[in-house]
Amino acid sequence: MTRLTRVGAREKVTGAARYGADHTPEGVAYAMPVVATVGKGRITRLDTEAAAAVPGVLLILSHLDNLGIIPAGYIMADGYAFQSLQPLLDDRVAYRGQPIALVVADTLVAATQAAGLVRAEYETEPFAVELGADGAETVLQEEAIPLPFLADIVVGDAEAAFEGSQVRVDGTYESGPQHQVPMELIGSVVEWQEDTVVVHEGTQSVGALRGGLARQLGIDPDRVQVIAPYVGGAFGQKNALQPHLAPLAVAARRAGRPVKLVLPRAHTFHAASFRPVARHRVRLGADASGRLLAVIHEVDQQASRHDLLPATYTEITSRLYAVPNFRGRQRHVKTDAQTPGYMRAPFEHSAAFAMESAVDELCQAIGRDPVEFRLANDAEVDPVTGKPFSSRHLAECLRRGAELFGWAARTPEPPRDVDGTMIGWGVATGAYPSLTVPTLARLRADAGGRIVAEVGGHEIGQGITTVLTCAIADDLGIDPDAVTVVVGDTRAVPHHLTAGAWGTNSTLRAVHAALRELRAGLGAAAAGRVDVAAAVTASGRDEVVVEAVTQGPGQPPEMIDRMRAGLVALAGPEYPDYVSFSFVAHFAEVRIEPVTRRIRVPRVVSVVDCGRVASPVTAEAQVRGAVVWGIGAALRERSEVDPRYGGFLNTDMAEYVIPVNADIGRIDVAFVNEPDFVLNPMGVKNLGEVALVGVAAAIANAVHHATGRRVRRLPIMVEHVL
Amino acid sequence: MHPFAYTAPATLADALRALSAAGPGTKVLAGGTTLYDLMKLDIETPSSVVDVHALRELTGIDTGGPGELSFGAGALMADVAEDPVLLSDYPALAESLAKAASQQLRNMATVGGNLLQRTRCAYFRGGPAFPCNKRRPGSGCGAIGGLDRGHALLGGSDACIATYPGDWAVALLAFDAVVDVAGPRGERTIALADLHLEPGVSPDREHTLEWDELIVRIRVPATPTGRGSTYHKIRDRESYAFALAAAAAAVALDDRGGVADCRIALGGVATRPWRCRAAERELIGGVLDEHSARRAGEAAFAGARPGTYNAFRVELGIRTVAEALRIAGERAVR
Ligand SMILES: Cc1cc2nc3c(=O)[nH]c(=O)nc-3n(C[C@H](O)[C@H](O)[C@H](O)COP(=O)(O)OP(=O)(O)OC[C@H]3O[C@@H](n4cnc5c(N)ncnc54)[C@H](O)[C@@H]3O)c2cc1C
Ligand code: SF4
Repeated sequence: MTRLTRVGAREKVTGAARYGADHTPEGVAYAMPVVATVGKGRITRLDTEAAAAVPGVLLILSHLDNLGIIPAGYIMADGYAFQSLQPLLDDRVAYRGQPIALVVADTLVAATQAAGLVRAEYETEPFAVELGADGAETVLQEEAIPLPFLADIVVGDAEAAFEGSQVRVDGTYESGPQHQVPMELIGSVVEWQEDTVVVHEGTQSVGALRGGLARQLGIDPDRVQVIAPYVGGAFGQKNALQPHLAPLAVAARRAGRPVKLVLPRAHTFHAASFRPVARHRVRLGADASGRLLAVIHEVDQQASRHDLLPATYTEITSRLYAVPNFRGRQRHVKTDAQTPGYMRAPFEHSAAFAMESAVDELCQAIGRDPVEFRLANDAEVDPVTGKPFSSRHLAECLRRGAELFGWAARTPEPPRDVDGTMIGWGVATGAYPSLTVPTLARLRADAGGRIVAEVGGHEIGQGITTVLTCAIADDLGIDPDAVTVVVGDTRAVPHHLTAGAWGTNSTLRAVHAALRELRAGLGAAAAGRVDVAAAVTASGRDEVVVEAVTQGPGQPPEMIDRMRAGLVALAGPEYPDYVSFSFVAHFAEVRIEPVTRRIRVPRVVSVVDCGRVASPVTAEAQVRGAVVWGIGAALRERSEVDPRYGGFLNTDMAEYVIPVNADIGRIDVAFVNEPDFVLNPMGVKNLGEVALVGVAAAIANAVHHATGRRVRRLPIMVEHVL
Repeated sequence: MHPFAYTAPATLADALRALSAAGPGTKVLAGGTTLYDLMKLDIETPSSVVDVHALRELTGIDTGGPGELSFGAGALMADVAEDPVLLSDYPALAESLAKAASQQLRNMATVGGNLLQRTRCAYFRGGPAFPCNKRRPGSGCGAIGGLDRGHALLGGSDACIATYPGDWAVALLAFDAVVDVAGPRGERTIALADLHLEPGVSPDREHTLEWDELIVRIRVPATPTGRGSTYHKIRDRESYAFALAAAAAAVALDDRGGVADCRIALGGVATRPWRCRAAERELIGGVLDEHSARRAGEAAFAGARPGTYNAFRVELGIRTVAEALRIAGERAVR
């Protein structure tokens, strides 16, 4: 296999890479939002006089104008936007931090100054921002969103099996809220060229921006171009249309010039989605020999008033073990916040923290080694559907990880270092569904022997350009430098949203199919090295262009239309003949200072079953990055909420404590690397999300081993172990 | 952010003249790492700024003399943190800088500007919609009864419990530093202990400098006790975070191992840099061991007034003092 360094690495480290907001067209004007400072209510007066008087101010947009914007709908309800609520259209304030006006000026300084001078008066209303708060309304998911895949998972009779179990664990676990906090801020540069609107914006979904903006402005999608060759981190935050875009487009049209918006960091905490609070009650029942008999997993997830984020926590907790009786229940608790959404392993991270902590408690209660318990309760077939797994090497992840970590030396009594440092070892597993989306790939071969691949996907730092470059170069036996991959550009091909770790599986499928077409088009054999230049020359044409569209097994063809329209069109993890998941096992060591009790994580071993590893260099980086995320989730990150005011308080990178280099020790990554040819002909499953699932639980379990304290709420901080 | 006038005088004398000429509402600009931040938050709204960052008269570092150490107000945190004399003879001073902020900030920020940094209280920083007596006198205090995990345990009032976030001033306080100040009325010297104010009923007043005065240098009396010192800082991550609890501790031992001299000051737990004379008295003349170090920590926090979420920092603070004393004791000269 071609072992490439990351495509674009040099451009990124030298600053040559041009991100969305780096684009500065001639005559650009600058926008700055004004946000609501109350938790809920109505704007009774908006005074823009002082702001309008600031020299250089061009426009102040608010609900007082008729902006003519049509709401684009919620991404998970056949729409395009991260939430259904489009600000600036009426006088309602649904949450603190909601935009209430947009100032546009000649310079960023003028726009910022003027935004600070807009004065609003409100009629306030009571609001609720926490799960238990008065006025926070709870609804059952299967009634509120009656879709088959969101129904409660019920297998056997979990209640009876739990009651009849010799050993029982009953715990409540909580995580969130958290924010994605990518380096790249949220921003956009919007420009009208004749009657076409051109958008430069870091996004995971150029298609949603295109379809959504067209719907909002009431124009044909062909008149919207969205360009996002690089995304400086997204992690779910940029997976949909954001409310800033349509007002920017209106502003650009009214001002007759391009408009740039880069949100200040503090705004990003309210401008886009976040990981909601999730409170889990997990009950486990086992017999004395350590056979898992019953799992009951009930989850309450924070929602906004206006949208319900479809929750799939139990999708993995019902499948990590061969459990004959399972009952899940997922509820939504409506709060006065922007709509929470997808943040890396959105449900699975939190679900695995709950489930794998509970399993650790169970092992403790029975006196079984946690690795041995997991191996003994591993599932051969899917406990929910009875179908086979496309592949499942979780046991191998555990065995290999235990060996790499030196788990055999673990004693139930935690060791102490000479200086009294408390040492603990913990293990946890995770899973993530293999999802597939409709994808179009177009390959152009020219007489110079070069291949340009235009693919419906996005380079969000996960390494998709590297993966596709490797795949094309390997297949044709050509130099990777002869391959150019174009992603994140509506001018090339239609794009589905890139998220949920489905990118590699989906784009490789399409590229694989297109390569078959290309070989046919070039008159080349079905396999083996191809002399591209000679074949194109022989064809007598300047270039040979082929196209392929692929979709998930069993996916109806209408899904391709949805993809073309920029809508979500997922297949999996339940496919007609099998279910498909990636798996992971994490082993963590913590060391806790004897006196001041700072918790450190000197080493983590992670072993992943993601099918065949498509690109070693970016795959390892993905897993390391995910472990860093897991350390952040376990020990650091927490968005602070004051129920008296609403919104989030710690809205900068000094106060929202993401890990720094000094927090990270050694991270060893290994892959089972067994191809899964059931899922697709390239043998790949998914990686970017599963790598995070279970890290926090492994650390929490290690903290328990070290201290005897079971912390059931993330993050675990010094006060919990003092 | 508001428009403001900007001048960058070439000499200290010009700077002083520019300052008084511009009138109240003028701010001195050094590295800008605090001032620009607060201007962007509309907390500081100076009508003009006088930039002293390039003034060579302010950048001198002199740690060679027998009597005292001297740091120009414009010396960079990064440079002072790496001064070899500090590293060997006053590790607490060097560590208080090295454990502050990030390398990028330390490369920009000055040791004079550092003294006047302002609280990280989220209600103070969060904008005019939050009540905050420091930002808008009389508007109330968002932190009292709110998210006070990081707020002060010592020195708070009914009006304000904001923590003084800096580290360097804490270490300086332990070593009886003084600050030389120049203004239109000439030079004067303020003990560092008299520079910062407790909030009392007017939390908007944080220090005793006049608006037209400039910090010129910081001086620290030389002492062999410096060798046996540390700045121990516990925070929510290993770097780039303000203290949950911090202690500057310095110890000198006599030939029989008794404590001849001891300095203890607290950071991150009080409304100003906090010297702990009572804790020092616990130790001077006695022996330093685990028990006496703990007792000193308890004495340091005897007056602590915890709120809703910050009570754990009393115990954490006591242990931080004890650890700081242990580390200082291991380094102490006899
Ligand atoms: C993200 C972040 C993290 C940080 N973490 C820490 C930390 O962990 N520990 C810590 O101690 N600090 C920390 N800091 C604060 C940092 O150390 C200070 O911002 C810095 O030291 C200020 O120095 P400056 O030269 O940039 O001052 P400026 O921002 O230029 O000025 C600060 C203030 O001092 C005044 N001033 C400056 N020089 C003079 C002078 N010569 N005479 C009179 N007045 C003057 C200014 O008018 C202004 O009011 C952090 C800052 C940031 C932004
Ligand atoms: S603690 Fe002080 S700074 Fe913070 S809100 Fe209260 S008055 Fe303002």
